[in-house]
Amino acid sequence: MPEFQITTQKLQNGVMFITVSGFLDAHTFEEMERTINDLFERNIYRLVVDLSRLDYISSAGAGVFIGAIGTAQENDGNIILMRPSPNVKEVFDLLGLSQIFTFADDIENAVRNFA
Amino acid sequence: MSGEVYRDRIIISNDTRFLSLAREFIARMIRVSEINKVDESKIILAVDEAVTNIIEHGYESQKDGTIEMEIEAAPDIFRVVIRDSGKEFDPNSIKDPDMTDHVKKGKKKGLGIFLMRQIMDEVKYVFKEGVQNELILVKHLKKPGGAAPGPKV
Repeated sequence: MPEFQITTQKLQNGVMFITVSGFLDAHTFEEMERTINDLFERNIYRLVVDLSRLDYISSAGAGVFIGAIGTAQENDGNIILMRPSPNVKEVFDLLGLSQIFTFADDIENAVRNFA
Repeated sequence: MSGEVYRDRIIISNDTRFLSLAREFIARMIRVSEINKVDESKIILAVDEAVTNIIEHGYESQKDGTIEMEIEAAPDIFRVVIRDSGKEFDPNSIKDPDMTDHVKKGKKKGLGIFLMRQIMDEVKYVFKEGVQNELILVKHLKKPGGAAPGPKV
């Protein structure tokens, strides 16, 4: 099984649903960064990232979202993080990011942020 | 584990592809220690951050370096010693980040040392001239009186 996998799926209202699985660390973060940059180049700034199948994240992985959320918000978008496991959520808590990012329990609640 | 002290070490190449190996090694040593589940994933993260810093900043473009990790898992302490021969770098010289400013400026890096400090009880750095860098990460498992340490405030 690959260390890290990303899939993307278009939802309504220009929202992109991104599913990530595996390990998001200093070895794999560039793939995540490329995916987000590609979406920004296509003027897609409303992102919902499903973290429920992400086993692990380090600061290199969290850094991708930190680096991108400002651009998303400046363009009438956002990065909504969905269902992180306790271990993954803990990393956002330790970094003091839980007040900066919006977390959602399901797609409906996540998408509601873009209404 | 009942009073035993376990020690082991590995040497990995200076490449992020071996981070998973480093994490597996830490996890294996944690399993023979008395570290609880909550701290397990955090300690793995702290060591990952330390090794990542060495790969990205200590060795920079140098590709043939190695990183040695030595662990002592005792009933009262979990000690990780990480040695490399890259550039001198004292993590204690780095200030904690202002996260709001980090997000505002779109900065992606510079958070690993902050995490190490948040998670571990001690982060010590020793530079041995002409030899190597030594980073020592310590988690205390029990206080001298025998009581388990409470959560950090």
